[in-house]
Formats: sequence, C-alpha cells, structure tokens
Amino acid sequence: MGKKNLAIIGVGEVPTGTYPGRSQWDIIYETCIQAVRDAGIHKNDVEAVITVAPQAQPQLTAEISFGMIPEELGLKGCKDVCICNAGGASTSNCLRLAEEMINSGAAEFILIPHMTVHSTIPLPDLINFFAKAGIDLQWEYPYGTTYNGIIAMMTRRYMYETGTTAEEMASVVVSLRKWAALDPNSIFYGKEVPSIEKILSSGMVSSPLRKRECNVLADGGAALLVTSAETAAKIGRPAAVKLGEGTRFFSAFTTTRSTEKVLEGFVKGTDEALAQAGLKKDEIDIWNLYMAYPVGHPLFMEAVGLCEPGQAGKMFMEGHTWPGGKRPWSPIGDAIGRGHTGSGVSTATYVETARQLMGKAGARQVPNAKYVFQNTSGGSGMNFIATVWGRNI
Amino acid sequence: METQKPTPVIQPWTKEFWKATKQGKLFVQHCNDCNSNIFFPKKVCPECWSENLSWIESPGKAKVYTFTEMLDMVEPKFMGDLPYVIAMVDLPEGIRMTTRIVNCKPENVAIGMNVEVVFQDVSSDCALPMFQPADASLRIKTADQEESVTGAPEAETGLKPEDYQTIQYEIGGKNDAVCFITLNRPEKYNAINRRMAAELIDAFRRVRDILTVGVVVLAGAGKAFCTGGDLEIFPSLAEHQNSLNWLSHEGLDVQRAITSCEKVVICKINGHCLAGGLEVALACDLLYAKASAKMGTTEINMGILPGWGGTARLPRSMPIFRAREIIYSGRKDYTAKEMYDMGLLTRVFADDEFEAGFEKIVNNIASKKPIALRMGKEIMARSADGCDLETALAVERNGIQWLTYSPDIQELMDQFRARPDQLTQQQKQQNIKSDVNK
Repeated sequence: MGKKNLAIIGVGEVPTGTYPGRSQWDIIYETCIQAVRDAGIHKNDVEAVITVAPQAQPQLTAEISFGMIPEELGLKGCKDVCICNAGGASTSNCLRLAEEMINSGAAEFILIPHMTVHSTIPLPDLINFFAKAGIDLQWEYPYGTTYNGIIAMMTRRYMYETGTTAEEMASVVVSLRKWAALDPNSIFYGKEVPSIEKILSSGMVSSPLRKRECNVLADGGAALLVTSAETAAKIGRPAAVKLGEGTRFFSAFTTTRSTEKVLEGFVKGTDEALAQAGLKKDEIDIWNLYMAYPVGHPLFMEAVGLCEPGQAGKMFMEGHTWPGGKRPWSPIGDAIGRGHTGSGVSTATYVETARQLMGKAGARQVPNAKYVFQNTSGGSGMNFIATVWGRNI
Repeated sequence: METQKPTPVIQPWTKEFWKATKQGKLFVQHCNDCNSNIFFPKKVCPECWSENLSWIESPGKAKVYTFTEMLDMVEPKFMGDLPYVIAMVDLPEGIRMTTRIVNCKPENVAIGMNVEVVFQDVSSDCALPMFQPADASLRIKTADQEESVTGAPEAETGLKPEDYQTIQYEIGGKNDAVCFITLNRPEKYNAINRRMAAELIDAFRRVRDILTVGVVVLAGAGKAFCTGGDLEIFPSLAEHQNSLNWLSHEGLDVQRAITSCEKVVICKINGHCLAGGLEVALACDLLYAKASAKMGTTEINMGILPGWGGTARLPRSMPIFRAREIIYSGRKDYTAKEMYDMGLLTRVFADDEFEAGFEKIVNNIASKKPIALRMGKEIMARSADGCDLETALAVERNGIQWLTYSPDIQELMDQFRARPDQLTQQQKQQNIKSDVNK
C-alpha cells in the first residue's frame, strides 16, 4: 500500500470573539457540523475524532479525552478518539496522526476539532496559566517572566542585530491587521487598521513590546474534516492536499534556545517540506505563517531568504505582504490579527490554508493560489513544523 | 489562587545549587566526563548521559544578551515589583541565564553591559541569583550610600522631584510660599497608578519640610482633575493581598501624606473629579471647582465602595443624607454646582472666572504665616474629628497661645511693644487686604 496524501475537504469555524454566554459544547456542535457538511459526507462516515487539546480547560479536556464528541454528535461510525497536545503545534500533530490512520486504513474520514473559551476562565487562572506555560518553574518563572516578556527580549535582540526600527516592527502588525480586517472570523474584522503611529503610541507592556504588538486572548473554535487525496478526488470535493513536511525541535525554554539553532531549523525544515513537495520557494503563492507575535515574521522571512538580511521590516512596511501584495503573508493575520485562541490559532491557520486552496477565502482570496506554505509552533517556540499544501488535482 | 511570589521548584539534583546561593555562591554544573558546562542543571549530562557531575563556582560575571523592562500585564503577585528588568545574561562559563537586572535604572541597562551576580533571598532554601551593573557608577545608590546635599531631607521613598514621571512639583508664588503639585498624566485623565501614588506620597512628605511654603495647590494637568485609580491597576486587585495593600498602603498613605503635610492643601478641581480622584480631593483642606467640573463616586457600579477614604470622608464632609446619595447612586455626572448646593465644595466659579478667582484665593491664603496655617489645620482637624467641645477648646486655646508666643510672632511683637498704635494700624491694613468685597 503506497503512501497517500492527506487532504482537507471540509472546514468549519466560528468567528473569534468573546462568548462568555456560549457553552463550549455549543461551539463544538457548530464547527463540527459545518466541517462535515462542507465535506459533503454523512456524519456516520466520520471514523475517528482527533481533537486539538483544549489548553487551560481541564474539564473540557477530560470530557473530550473520554469520547464526548462522537457521543454528542452521534457519530455512529466512529472507531476511535483521542486528544493531541503539542501546544500551538497540536493541530499539525492531529493531522499527522490522521494521516497515519488513513494510510493504515484504520479510518477514511477523520474529524479534527478545536475549541477554546478563554473568557469564562477566571482572569487570575488565565494569567497564571500563560505565565507558566513554556516557562521553567525553577529557572525562569520566579523572576517574574511572562510570554510578553520573553518575546520582548527576542524582539530587542533581533532589532539590535539587524538594525530593524520600531516603525518596521510596528509595520508587521499593520500588515497582519490589514488581512484581519478582511476576515469575518477575526476579532478585528471590519475594524480600522491602526497606523504605525497608533501602534507605537500604545502603552509599553514589556519594552520594546507595546500593547498593540501583543495578543488579545479570545474565544473560538474550528474543525477540519480530512481524508486522503485519492478519496477526495473520487468523491469530487475541492481539497487542500498536503505535499510536504519538515520539522525541527529546538528547546523547551527560551533561556536554553539558541537563535542560531532556530534560524537553521527554519531553513532546514522549510527546505525539507519544499523538497518533498517538489517545489521551489518562488512557486509558493501564500506564506501562511503562525508566529504568535510580530518578531517571528521578519526573522523567518530573512532566515529563509525571502528577502535580503535585515530588509524584512521594509517588506512589511512597503506593503509587499499586504492583501494584493506580491508576497501574501499570513492571510488571517496570525494571532495578532485573529485574536489568540490558545492552540486554536494553528487550527485556524490550517483552515485558512484549506480555504485559500479551495477558493473559499472571500475578500482574502489570493487569485489562483496553487501552493501554500504554512508552519506551526508550540510552547514558547519549542519547535517548527513546516508544511506545503496544494490544490486537489 | 497563589498569593506568595513563587520560589524555584527545586529538584533533588539542583539542591546543591540552591544551597550555594544561600552562601552567596553561584554554581555551574559540570560534567567530569565530557567537560561540558550544563544549564539548566540536569540529573545526567545532556551531552553524554554521564552521571559523573560536579559543581564549579562561578565568579558571577556576565554580559547582558537581551533584556526587557516589564511595565504591565504581569501576574498579580509580581505587580508590586513593577517596573522591573528581566534579562538573559551570558556567563563566560558558556551558559545563559534568565535573571533580573537590579540596582540599576532601566534606562541604563543595555545589551552587552557587564554585570555581576548578587543574591536575593526568597526562602529559607534559596536565594535568587540576580545581576547588577559591574560598573559601580551605573548602580543606584542605596540609602546609606546617599549623601544628603540639600537642606530638605530625603523622603523615605528614595524618589526625587526630578524623577517624578506622573506629577509635577514646583515651588513658587510670592516668597516661595506656594507649592504646586500637579497630577500629570493628562492622556489618562490623571488616573492614579502605583507610580503616581508613590510620587504623591513623596511630594507631600517632602513639602512638609519646606518652611517658606504655607499652601499647596493640588491640581490636574489637562482637561480633568483626576478620574480615580488607573484601570491598569485593576487586574492586580483580583489578588486579595494586593487589593488590601492598594487600599491600606498606597491609598491610606496618600491620604495621610496630604492630611499630615502641615500645609493648607487647596484642591483645584478643573474637570472630572471622580472616584479615587474625588477621594484624594476629600483629603484636602479647601475645594474650589470650575462650574463645568463633573464629580461622583463610581465604585458601587463595580459592586464595591470608595476605599481611599471616600466612604468615611464624604459623610463627614457634607450632610449625611446627601453623602449617601453620592455613594449609593454611582453617578459620575454631579455638576460642581450640584455638589456645592449639597454642601460639599468650598466654592464654585464660572468657567471663565475660575483661573483668576482661584489665583486670588491662593495668593491671599499664601500671604498668611505658614506657622498659623499649620496650627489652624491641626486644630480644625482635631476639632472636626469629633472630640468633645471642652477638649477642642483646650486644643484651640493652647494652640493659639503657643502661636502667640512663637519666636516668629514675638519678633513682631517686640516692635509693637514699643509703639502699640502701630499694631492697630497694621492689623487694620492686613484685614482690609484679605477682604474680597471692597
């Protein structure tokens, strides 16, 4: 039995927002039903449910781990369930597991849901969760570090080494927000895109990181319905097909992570994914990056050689990465533009990859998009999972 | 919820490291087989899995690799430390540590800066290695190293007027008799954050020692007087201890600094004066408002009550049945005129007359002897606190007798003893000068 390509044939999503009044299960119902209907299959065709671990929601984790999704949705053909957790890289691993199950013949259609409701978690618990996730309790946490603080330190070092200006860093946010303004599922949909001046006039959180360069925690949910490319073609559904993948692990904590190793990992992971897909960088139509904060974007762009070293800031500032630009970049606006839904931003990024390749991306649709590069990463940036996706043949 | 600051979660194989910190030593883990230095310390060498590990003592020198000044959005238990500098530092032993840079102004921290280890006790088991500038001239001087150069003794906080970021402090007026303390976060409607509270406490304690000053004018820069506690404080109040401290440390200390500063504090209410802003005003001695100013206490809208003295002072500052309405209604749109009619304010001026009218009053009061203003403040405060009349009268009588025989007044008295008619003449003139309706 030859290796089959994985194909996303259905997506479901609720707009990212604040839903304290909406139960988590209400969201799960909506996204899962959407994805199954979008795929054009019957609910009983779903043979496995692999869920993105709901971070910071222990009760929901328990419910989903023990099979409540097929139970609630009446997925009578379901053979197995499990949760997959690698932080922000969870969705990538759900997809890989699905790929294995499809390849082994264990399942043909697999549902991959994600759900996060931050707004009902008591604020101190939420702050506490994010203060400790990916931060070492012995060597980092007692000093009063936070995610914002860690990223601020990376940002300062990047600016120091490349001479990137505060204006250029802010322009990354401008670019991401321009996409977000076009995305009905973003918290910033239809909202005014802040100018560089407005971003730089927002309060300093952890120097040099300002409020508008940090993420807004939000609620959201999405679901993917996957099968093999073969089956997708057979049943005649538009699909996004996984063509290649490359992965690197760096370190669990930022203190012990060398920038050189990260940059090398970006390059090698990307090269491997492209090589597997048989593509060159120039053939990629959309760079759908999930970096969670601004600094990763220019860092990646330069490392992979999509611009001259130290020139990435200008690429964002001059609009090349904007909607309509020559290098469409993160068309849901990453976590900055979408609203931070925990591990859900990576699910949403895959949903967008699929939408773009299925031609369902609305105002964000990149005309004739054939190939999308997308990455995910977990924890405080522990790893890099690069994938390349193409349209169904 | 955790209220204590976290201490390192120690593993059996890191006990030696933390024990050393208590003796002021910084250890680096070393593999005796492959000679690598290891951080974070491990149970086995991550390079070769050897268990033949030891500790070498580091001289504790390092270079700043990168850093950030933490200003906002930290866990409640760290809020009290804000602002603080987190850094990654590189040691010549080939390891990188996350730490804090201490004893250094944040603006003086730089990438590449040489630093050296200092230890901060956090528990009976361990002290956190932190780093300070190796260059002693970049270190903030501690209190006992600081020489007092000016006549005014340093206030306890270690702040100085030139370091103030949220208020302005200026001494002026005729004979330097007026101190202008201006809340200066106009973009935030002068909302009070921790920094402002600390600076207000410092400023009012400082002015107490300036003998020429009789009057302090407390005003707000821009369009508002003060809209109360800054919303940025609120997340920290979710933590019980922080909330209590915000009320009993910052809150009470600000009130006390104002009420015990021994100067007549005149509050200039030029715009919104809400919640904590109104409470600060209530601690002042005289309240003058612009007609367009809007006032109120909004705390009850959040299910709490004014906690910076408002719930106690409002009913003592006006008829109680009116005070209750202000506290219970949560309205923020009481006009200055309404407040005056309800018995709260000293006086209200039409908008276009406010500046001139206010200045006249300040100049007049500032022309009085500071020592008399100070004694007046004390006698009236004790009396208004509600002691029995006989006690109040005794405080008054003895206070005034003391004033009369103070060296200041006695100096004047000497000339009048020689020419009693002059006393009468001069007194008449002074009296006329203080009148408004001439």
